[in-house]
Amino acid sequence: MLKYTLRRILGMIPMLLLISIVVFSLALSMPGDPFGGEIDPNNTDPQYIEEMREKAGLNDPVHVQYGRWISNFMQGDFGESTRYKMPVAELIGERMPNTLFLGITSLVITYILAFVMGMYAGRKPYTTADNLIGGVNYLGLAIPSYIAGVFAIYFFSFKLGWFPFSGSVDITLQDGSFEYYLSRLHHVFLPAIVLGALGTASYTQFLRNDIIESSRKDFVRTARAKGTSESKIYNQHILRNSIIPLITFLGFDIVTLISGAIITEAIFTYPGIGQLFLDSINNRDYPVMMTLTMMFSFLVLFGNMIADLLYGIVDPRIRVD
Amino acid sequence: MAEAINDTSITKVKAQKSMSPWAVARRKFLRNKLAMISLFFLMTVSILSFLAPYITTVDITRVNIGSMSLTPSSEHWFGTDKSGRDVFTRLLYGGRVSLLVGISCTLLIITFGTLIGALAGFFGGIVDALLMRFTDFILNFPLLVFVIVLNAVFFGKLGGVPVLIAVISVLGWGGVARLVRSKILSEKENEYILAAISIGSRPAKVIMKHLLPNVLSTIIVQATLTFAAMIVVESGLSYLGFGVPAETPSWGNMLAASREPDVLQNMPWIWIPPALTLVFTILSINFIGEGIKDALNPKSLR
Repeated sequence: MLKYTLRRILGMIPMLLLISIVVFSLALSMPGDPFGGEIDPNNTDPQYIEEMREKAGLNDPVHVQYGRWISNFMQGDFGESTRYKMPVAELIGERMPNTLFLGITSLVITYILAFVMGMYAGRKPYTTADNLIGGVNYLGLAIPSYIAGVFAIYFFSFKLGWFPFSGSVDITLQDGSFEYYLSRLHHVFLPAIVLGALGTASYTQFLRNDIIESSRKDFVRTARAKGTSESKIYNQHILRNSIIPLITFLGFDIVTLISGAIITEAIFTYPGIGQLFLDSINNRDYPVMMTLTMMFSFLVLFGNMIADLLYGIVDPRIRVD
Repeated sequence: MAEAINDTSITKVKAQKSMSPWAVARRKFLRNKLAMISLFFLMTVSILSFLAPYITTVDITRVNIGSMSLTPSSEHWFGTDKSGRDVFTRLLYGGRVSLLVGISCTLLIITFGTLIGALAGFFGGIVDALLMRFTDFILNFPLLVFVIVLNAVFFGKLGGVPVLIAVISVLGWGGVARLVRSKILSEKENEYILAAISIGSRPAKVIMKHLLPNVLSTIIVQATLTFAAMIVVESGLSYLGFGVPAETPSWGNMLAASREPDVLQNMPWIWIPPALTLVFTILSINFIGEGIKDALNPKSLR
């Protein structure tokens, strides 16, 4: 397993380098100077601009520029945001907790909903309740998050007034107080549900099908023959076997949460990484955009690797190849 | 006399001939109520959209200050938006763009993905390794992020729908290639492939005539799912403002109006029609896909 893990991690490095080259070329081909963050846009004197370009290294050959960018990047120097006039690392650090909070809340909601629905539907398959759960899940899989989000805001925020429709916290509250955290939870709830809908549906369907399949197996028959109670059979014998394959979903969750966060944060104007990314594109804030693109790509790569490794743990045959 | 006997025996054989797999599938599909209703809905939406210029004569580009944000009435069935444009007319024209983007992306993705997957699966070895590494490379790009970035690159230089289709297709074919490859890999182990190769058929012929027809059912099902997914991608990008240019109506662009809290809260007639049309279109494509999958599966009982 260790050898397999190492091989997978080493395999990531060339992929990351290739992606960094793609991101760098994209930034070069964008309109304007991607690395000219320190040039004062109000000073239009050609001599001044030329001086600053020379100072920023924009006149160097492309491979020199790439080398400088990537070595700075590896050392954690992502440049300075042209819009916010602060280091990109600091800017991302400021927004990151919001996105993490959204992602984790969404995962928790997903797990709770999926477990309750999946276990119930698996235990009583082909009943009305099972069909109902199946129907809801089908909608969850088919309806895009932005449409679900728009309807959620319309009904729960505007018509019923249960949840706020934008922001991450009530700004009048003091940081650190109990009400502050309650308000954050209140703000994150609706986006988290919308973000988790897709995951909830696939988890529930998987758990249901796996429980139905397991309940026909010999070890369940043995347990029944011994006189084990139905609830103990389902909650201990079957559930334990069905949970193991579920953990492989975790890697893909990372991937869906990234693209999901961009759309969900845009719908709910939630100040996180996704919104920062869209803002950076709209404002041509290249250092922020490049850093976030690299970060998203890395997370996708990382998520896929986690999924593969978890597969390897669950099914040892995969490790051989 | 002998001829007459022959005749009867021929008709007898004909009567006993079993249906071809495609005929069985077609019959199963026609009996699937949900899929047929969905097909009817999708056909209606497509025909209405593509005949839009003949159905309505309202100019969709002109901003009409005299009729801004009108509620639905007999004159404007779904009301008008904030620029005074008729929502129903825009819905029809939007369908043209959304469906066109969906179909074009699907065709490109399926063609390219099938080509790469079939080549990798059939030849194996170094060809397989190279093509699959390339596929992995493409799959590692988060689609949404890179479509947005690429759109920013082309901003102002080459805008519009064709660029969007190209960008989505270039980044989207990886999954199809993987799927086709795995299907080809298991299919080529069959003896009829060995027979075809041993009588000297060229690889192109083996792939086109023997392998692809046998994985076609998987590809067709995948194509319907891709179609639904591409409509979701297009409208999602347009909703965020990075898809179809804002002046071209598409379902996603119309839905984007709901990003203004005022429109979202007080003028539901502007965004509910495109939202519901999108939901029903996506659902019906999915139902059709499920129907086809069911019909092509010889093990299913329906």
